[in-house]
Amino acid sequence: MNIIEIKDLSFSYRKNTPVLKNINLNIKKGEWVSILGHNGSGKSTLSKLIMGLLKANEGEIIVDGIPLTEETLYEVRSKIGIVFQNPDNQFVGVTVEDDIAFGMENLEIDREEMVRRIDLYSKKVSMNEYLKKPPHQLSGGQKQRVAIAGILAMDTDIIIFDEATSMLDPKGRDSIMEQIRELKEDGATIISITHDMKEAVYSDTIVVLKEGEILASGDAMDILNNKEVLNASNLELLLPLKLLHKLDEANINNEEMRDILWQLSLNK
Amino acid sequence: MNNIIIGQYVPGTSFLYKMDPRSKLIALFVFMISVFIIKNLLHITILLFAVILILRIGGIQIGRIFKGLKPILFLLSFTFIFQLLFVKGDVEDILVDANVVITSINIFIFIGFFILWRLLRKVVKFRFLLFITFLVGSIIMFINLTPGSPLFNNPYNLVIYKQGLEGAVFIMTRLIVIVTMSTILTLTTKPTDLNLGLEKVLKPLKIVGVSTEIMAMIIAIALRYIPTLLDEANKIMLAQASRGVDFSEGKFKDKIMQIISLLVPMFIISFKRSDELADAMEARNFVPGKRRTRIHLLKWTSVDTILITVSLLTLSGVIVTRILGW
Ligand SMILES: Nc1ncnc2c1ncn2[C@@H]1O[C@H](COP(=O)(O)OP(=O)(O)OP(=O)(O)O)[C@@H](O)[C@H]1O
Ligand SMILES: [Mg+2]
Repeated sequence: MNIIEIKDLSFSYRKNTPVLKNINLNIKKGEWVSILGHNGSGKSTLSKLIMGLLKANEGEIIVDGIPLTEETLYEVRSKIGIVFQNPDNQFVGVTVEDDIAFGMENLEIDREEMVRRIDLYSKKVSMNEYLKKPPHQLSGGQKQRVAIAGILAMDTDIIIFDEATSMLDPKGRDSIMEQIRELKEDGATIISITHDMKEAVYSDTIVVLKEGEILASGDAMDILNNKEVLNASNLELLLPLKLLHKLDEANINNEEMRDILWQLSLNK
Repeated sequence: MNNIIIGQYVPGTSFLYKMDPRSKLIALFVFMISVFIIKNLLHITILLFAVILILRIGGIQIGRIFKGLKPILFLLSFTFIFQLLFVKGDVEDILVDANVVITSINIFIFIGFFILWRLLRKVVKFRFLLFITFLVGSIIMFINLTPGSPLFNNPYNLVIYKQGLEGAVFIMTRLIVIVTMSTILTLTTKPTDLNLGLEKVLKPLKIVGVSTEIMAMIIAIALRYIPTLLDEANKIMLAQASRGVDFSEGKFKDKIMQIISLLVPMFIISFKRSDELADAMEARNFVPGKRRTRIHLLKWTSVDTILITVSLLTLSGVIVTRILGW
């Protein structure tokens, strides 16, 4: 079942400079989709359109069977959580605790439940010792962690991560990846916008945007292995895959070596 | 960045910290009204005494209050001097009437004499020092006591009236008391509680159609962004400085250009920030005016009732004495 259906979607901030052109995209319930693309290809714009923060010029967006319109705006939004690219401008609360609570307060969740979830999710992003701190005393990566906790705490069916781990240290990133995998096991749909190939490996499918159009989409490993598509969007092959391609070019056919490299590229 | 006090909470344990933000806000409001209707020096003394008492019992360092007063120091001295010099009264209310020219010559001579004395003390004989002293003395006498001299007939007389001095003292005390009171509030109240307190206290305004949740939310966000925006201003200043803009010196016209070079980026950044922040809030299901649950609870205790009572008593005391004309 498709939880998100996008049909013939076009959008422009200013007349005659289309940012998204004729996008058609279906995302299945419980799927983990990565969106790749060069800077300015329209990834963030697409996520804002899905969220109803921007209004499409043409086309249709259907979320969980509900077409996105003025009337259904709030209903659709309550199904989606989004972690934005810039952690500075999404910190609403006066303290970490308040910020994690903000979304839940809006969803009218009981106070006890809020306290429980703040405790749970602040621990999951290792920010439980900073609950009373104001945002200007936090680092960029710490603000990103808080933003992630705030969205996880809302417990929505769909979560969009817009380069949400770009400022995290490798360990922090791994633990967030682990977190997302758990979410997916619980049935959540994940849309993750990223430039990091190692992150994209985890996803089920990949959509590649180029200059506002879908350049390619399909099974994650197929796209990650496609040199032409990646090159076209300023991305590089993962190192093990690069080695595999080199082996091919040199006509070396060592099955064991290929196997190891393949496993490596899958992060195993 | 470090001398900014607005909205700055400093952790502590005194009774002021345990109080409900609502009672603090209401008490502040009531005190402010009292401050504005007081009319005589006795009231001022009582008010100042009350403020000092709160500071002492509340365990607040006076230094922090001074920090809060620093930004308005210029305003304070300006109003003080303005009141002192330009408020006029009757002739019998004149406190000081000094001829500006003669006064400045006197001051000049005294300073000059003092410096001369220090310089010459070691190198010349006592006899000569005595001579200079007498010389200066007679010059001063000549200037000050000879009404016929042209120095006396100049229009620059400095006159200070009783009313001027009173007005100056009144305005100063009012400003100081108000700033001190609000500084006490922000020092001892977490921004979160302040926000919630404001929302509740402003609730009556709902009747006139003002959306108090949104107002409180905007105030809270403004408070939350002050440090960030100051940080931003700092960065812009550094960036402009590295491009050759000098913020420390320059003529008036240069100063204006410098301020513009700061304001334009600040304006753009604030706009972009507020836009993105609004997106982030809406994305987290914020619907202006819709019901929300709250993570923080407010607790009203007997201390709060006492504070409110005290502030109301003060106010009614001031009103009654004014009506009675004391
Ligand atoms: N608020 C705006 N007003 C006008 N144009 C905009 C606005 N936001 C983005 N754009 C333009 O739309 C295009 C797509 O921007 P978008 O932010 O969606 O890119 P992106 O794929 O998220 O890039 P990045 O990888 O850098 O995050 C860019 O050309 C950008 O200049
Ligand atoms: Mg982006």
